Amino acid sequence: MSQYVLQAQDVAIHYGGVKALDGVDMTLEKGQIRGLIGPNGAGKSTVIDAITGRRPLTRGKVTLMGQDVSHLGAVERRARGLSRSFQRTSIFHGMTVRAQVELASYKMGMANSAEDAEAVLKELDLDRLGNTIAEDLGYGEQRRLDLALALVGRPQVLMLDEPMAGLSVKESHDLAHHLKALTSKWDVSVLLVEHDMDVVFGISDVITVFELGRVIAQGAPAEVRANPRVREAYLGSTA
Amino acid sequence: MNMSMSRVSILSVLTLILGVGIMTFVTSSSLLAMFTQAVVYAISALGVGFLLRQNGLVSFGHALFFGAAGYGMGVILQLEWMSAEAAIFAVLGGLAVMGFLMGLVIVRVPGIAFGMLTLAIGQMAYLLATRATGMTGGTDGMSVAWPNEVFGFSQSVLLKPAVLFMIAWVLMVVVTYILLWVIRTRFGAITEAIRDNEERARFIGITTTVPRSLIFAISGVVTGIAGLLSSFNTGFVSPENLHWSVSAITLLMVVVGGFKRPVGPIVGAIVYFLFKDLLGEYATHSNAIFGAALIAVIVFSPDGITGAIERAFKGKKPAGAAHQPISH
Repeated sequence: MSQYVLQAQDVAIHYGGVKALDGVDMTLEKGQIRGLIGPNGAGKSTVIDAITGRRPLTRGKVTLMGQDVSHLGAVERRARGLSRSFQRTSIFHGMTVRAQVELASYKMGMANSAEDAEAVLKELDLDRLGNTIAEDLGYGEQRRLDLALALVGRPQVLMLDEPMAGLSVKESHDLAHHLKALTSKWDVSVLLVEHDMDVVFGISDVITVFELGRVIAQGAPAEVRANPRVREAYLGSTA
Repeated sequence: MNMSMSRVSILSVLTLILGVGIMTFVTSSSLLAMFTQAVVYAISALGVGFLLRQNGLVSFGHALFFGAAGYGMGVILQLEWMSAEAAIFAVLGGLAVMGFLMGLVIVRVPGIAFGMLTLAIGQMAYLLATRATGMTGGTDGMSVAWPNEVFGFSQSVLLKPAVLFMIAWVLMVVVTYILLWVIRTRFGAITEAIRDNEERARFIGITTTVPRSLIFAISGVVTGIAGLLSSFNTGFVSPENLHWSVSAITLLMVVVGGFKRPVGPIVGAIVYFLFKDLLGEYATHSNAIFGAALIAVIVFSPDGITGAIERAFKGKKPAGAAHQPISH
């Protein structure tokens, strides 16, 4: 069996002549946080879309726990433990916080969905807002609810697309701290797309850098930060 | 808003008692006939409102189910395929299957395109009914030959204005109760999740097409029940029952009454028929006046009369359309 929880091999998504992703290879180990960085349009969100089945692959293969999931739809991949949040907050606005998290947990086949939902809500400090209709929540709370929906059912891999977008510095750092704690506590592996470099370099075990749909560098944070090509393409000379 | 089923049960019983009161104290046959017609339309609107509430989809073609129920019954009774009682269930079962299969194809289409598809399918059925003269009587329509006894009751008794009103009233209460129960089930929660955010629903493991198709089928059956009642009331069905204007009026009732509260469509139907009655000799212009009322409701209370009433009690501001998207 593969040592990797998740493996993307030669993944490509082309739209006619435009190569949104081209020949991307990436791995994720158990309990690891891999940060994905790069300029806008580099392919970071597209790689999450490719792995979760939101966009069909032009080429390549995605394996989860050693099993090829490339041919599966989003629902099946989620059932196998591949979960995600979205760049724009993606929740059920008309439902209460507890009802939607409990529903997600139920759909994930948790034996006691109410208990699982409560644990997730507590973990993200949303339990006191359980009976609130989601549209009445503040923005930061909605972001946390988005994360809660991705966390139910104890996924193997959690893919977070700019989870800190729009949050205050304090909220970002609190959420980053939470994430780091969750990976070891719940044994979940994380792919993190984020523009806040303090957060990415602060909590990632490894970092992959994208440019124009291709991986231009990957490695430990210090290694990536020192890479001249990365500095030139994205971080800038003062990084 | 989300009252428990025990409270729903109590309210249902009280509503049934109210129906008995109306049946007992209203002695005018013409008034009872109007009430019956209002209740029939209320049931029809319940179907359209349920689709809008649970799927966020606006149907411009639900007259298809209203008319098809009458035609289905008429054809079965004419050809003597089965008893009237069995035919009722066969027609409703047929509508459920038809709605589900249609739903599998059309609920994937978002927003206004869905509305146009339902309109197109409804009008195709209308044209079919006008052209298939041999079976449907064409533009003249066909009589629905109900037998002398239905479910052991004499037709002459069942057709008494007070009795017919009570049958329609009981059906309306039962249908509402069932819809309220469905909304509170896990299935109801799943469909609300899909309505709110279909993509997120998929990413919490929900397959979206089948639940949406089932809602479409349920809503079609509910409107079909109204169509059956109408055919029993008049003993007749014509292409007019399938016409888009029937769908439009039903939809107006839903919008005026409010679709977020399951009983909103009933309120809309009652208001519509009250309008028609109060306008008296001006009734020929009732649709124009009701249209003006519709504009007023959309501007001042986008979630309808029931929304306005709820806000009046809770002191909330009107819910903007953006807060609850009606389609995805």
